[in-house]
Amino acid sequence: MSAPGLGVEFVGRRPALFWLTLRLSLLTILTLGLYRFWMKTRLRRWYWSAVRIGGLPVEYTGEALEKLLGFLIAVVFLAFYIGVVNLLLMFLSFSLFNGAVAAYALSFVGVLPVLFYARYRARRYVLGRTRWRGIRLGMAPGAWGYAWRALLHWTLTLLSLGLLWPRMTFWLEKYRTDRTYFGSLALIQGGRWTMLYRAARHVFIGLALAVAGGGALITLAEGMLLPFGVGAAGVLLAGGLLWTIVGIVHYRVSAFRLLTNAKRLEGGGGFSSHARTGRVLAIYVWGYLLAFLLLLIVLLPGALVVLGLLAAVVVELPRDAEELLLLADTPLWLQVLIGALLYFSFFVVLGVLRQVFVTMPLVRHYTQTLRITGPMALDGARQRHADRFSEAEGFAEALDVGAAF
Amino acid sequence: MSATRIHVGAAPPRLEAYADFFDGEMARPRRAAISIEEAANGGATLIVRPPEAAPWRWPLDTLRRVPGQARRHPLALTSTVNPLARLYVGDAETAAILASRARRLARSVPVPGRWRLLTWAAAAVFSVLLILFILVPLLADRLALYLPPAGERALGETTISQIRGALGDELGAPLPLCDAPEGRRALDRIVERISLDSDLPYPVTVSVLDDEMVNAFALPGGQVAIFRGMIEAARTPEQVAAVLAHELAHVDARDPTRAALRTAGSVGILGLLLGDFAGGAVVLFLTEQLIEARYSQAIEAAADDFALRLLAERALPPAALGEIFERLRAEYGEAEGVASRFGSHPATARRVEEAKAAQEALAIAPRPLLSGSDWRALRRICTP
Repeated sequence: MSAPGLGVEFVGRRPALFWLTLRLSLLTILTLGLYRFWMKTRLRRWYWSAVRIGGLPVEYTGEALEKLLGFLIAVVFLAFYIGVVNLLLMFLSFSLFNGAVAAYALSFVGVLPVLFYARYRARRYVLGRTRWRGIRLGMAPGAWGYAWRALLHWTLTLLSLGLLWPRMTFWLEKYRTDRTYFGSLALIQGGRWTMLYRAARHVFIGLALAVAGGGALITLAEGMLLPFGVGAAGVLLAGGLLWTIVGIVHYRVSAFRLLTNAKRLEGGGGFSSHARTGRVLAIYVWGYLLAFLLLLIVLLPGALVVLGLLAAVVVELPRDAEELLLLADTPLWLQVLIGALLYFSFFVVLGVLRQVFVTMPLVRHYTQTLRITGPMALDGARQRHADRFSEAEGFAEALDVGAAF
Repeated sequence: MSATRIHVGAAPPRLEAYADFFDGEMARPRRAAISIEEAANGGATLIVRPPEAAPWRWPLDTLRRVPGQARRHPLALTSTVNPLARLYVGDAETAAILASRARRLARSVPVPGRWRLLTWAAAAVFSVLLILFILVPLLADRLALYLPPAGERALGETTISQIRGALGDELGAPLPLCDAPEGRRALDRIVERISLDSDLPYPVTVSVLDDEMVNAFALPGGQVAIFRGMIEAARTPEQVAAVLAHELAHVDARDPTRAALRTAGSVGILGLLLGDFAGGAVVLFLTEQLIEARYSQAIEAAADDFALRLLAERALPPAALGEIFERLRAEYGEAEGVASRFGSHPATARRVEEAKAAQEALAIAPRPLLSGSDWRALRRICTP
């Protein structure tokens, strides 16, 4: 490529990732989930080091043990919150409203700020454990500021029936970006929130079509005459929903591209992304299709055995099917064991295949279509202090809002 | 000659190469000349010479490979002397020489404060246990005193529909209640006979659940439920009355209200720990908890005492309580279902003896509870 700047490559290979993920998943299951902290850490190291900016690998320096500790610390806080606060809410709800609904609603609303807080902290943790050219990335503190802003933006977005979604996307990304550093160099989010509207148009078109279709169906159901029939209205509704889903993917990819292109590095330098909706959609569709197909092939023999067992137990069999009944006579613990094995292998194999056919291609697409423009500015970066915080991304882990890996 | 062997006597392979060097202070890439300096005592040191800067000296034993790299090329190195610095060796031959001579390449760079981490982990586990087993129960016990009757009833109704839902069939229909009119009349007769004369702010409701489980349980707000299996396991109506009397004792003491509030607090925590934030496993566990609600030994003993007194007072044989548990224990074993919930065997037996003695002292002869036809009707309460 003759374009100026630093290119980004992705050098990870599928077979290596396949065996790595398989081994890590099995260990996670064998340790009843305890190993998941090590699994995430190992996977991140792999992914980070597969990304080469200007030929040099990015490095992830997070430690699994600190993740485990962070999780435990978060659990202490959340155990207090969920245990004591929910108990109080349940008490108040039954005392004042004679029902649990108020408690569930309040409890959900109460946990929302913690969710946003956890997201910000998780991002800060991951950036603080990322290095390139030996220099740490980092993020300034500001998780509670992020939490209340996110709550406000969500409220506005919901009140405006989604019309202010791009505004939320832009300002939250700006909040995060403006606190992000490469060593001593600050990152700045430029651009305006209105620049995202064009990218969001397909979501609005899809929703409009779906609403029109749904409205027509209701009108028809009430016996009013319309120039077209139920079939047309159904097609309109289904088409509108599909359009919306594709529109959301398009919005996310385009918003990423637009926001990335509008990011600047202190001292000059910036980014140029060429991420494409078509490619991302193709990865999703073909990746999941392939993953499920392979899953079926791998698990079919086992599933047939279990179905056979079940059929033998449930269905009344004619006399001459005694051999089958013998199969049904296998002890309960064996049946349970086979069932559990199948159940877990389903998730392990699906997880591994998704990693290999969806996650990795997505990461590869997003990274390979990225360039750093004006890379001379990077040379000016100095090392920043280590960002030590004890709870790592524990809250995100405990509330399950972490990244895919 | 091979790069993978250390020759004794002969000179080790010479190393003169270049690599990308980052000192961990500046992001500016520098192409550094690297070489190995042999010491007289056999030790060797990697000398890294960035342009226009003082050389860096890394003894070969301090070299570490940056762990978890997706590809082996370039060889990413650091040293325990300067853990922030990085050296990327692109040349394959140089990388091979370094890999063969630096023997501790695969060791991990020590993470500072592993013990501190472990201490914190232990403290965290301890705190969670404290919250789960002390704080939540304590708070629940205090709050149960202040829950108004209407709220308590609502709590009971919510819980019984949860239990019926969880025990229902695969299609989601809740577990049916048994309400054959004649059986119901017989059951009401028993309930009337042992009705509480305490001033509970709500009526006591006894329902029969259509399941073969041999069990009975009490819920907040005066709800008592008995499974079909328990009625079938009883030999006499007096034994059914004895089981119900025990559950009524819990109702009278408002034990289930405390238990339900405790569960509300602890279920969320368990879900959190198991990483199953709102999954089905938690619901199942909740059901299990409520049905098998294991109160403390003292509470169960108090409930037994209460039941024995109630039975004696209403001219019913207190021995029936001992008989039914004896029978359940013989048939289903110590740990199974309801049998495990009552005080230890000798204690119950002794109390049964005491109650019998009390009953004889009062000189009240047991009056029959149900006629033969009523008893048969009760046993068929689930077959309308």
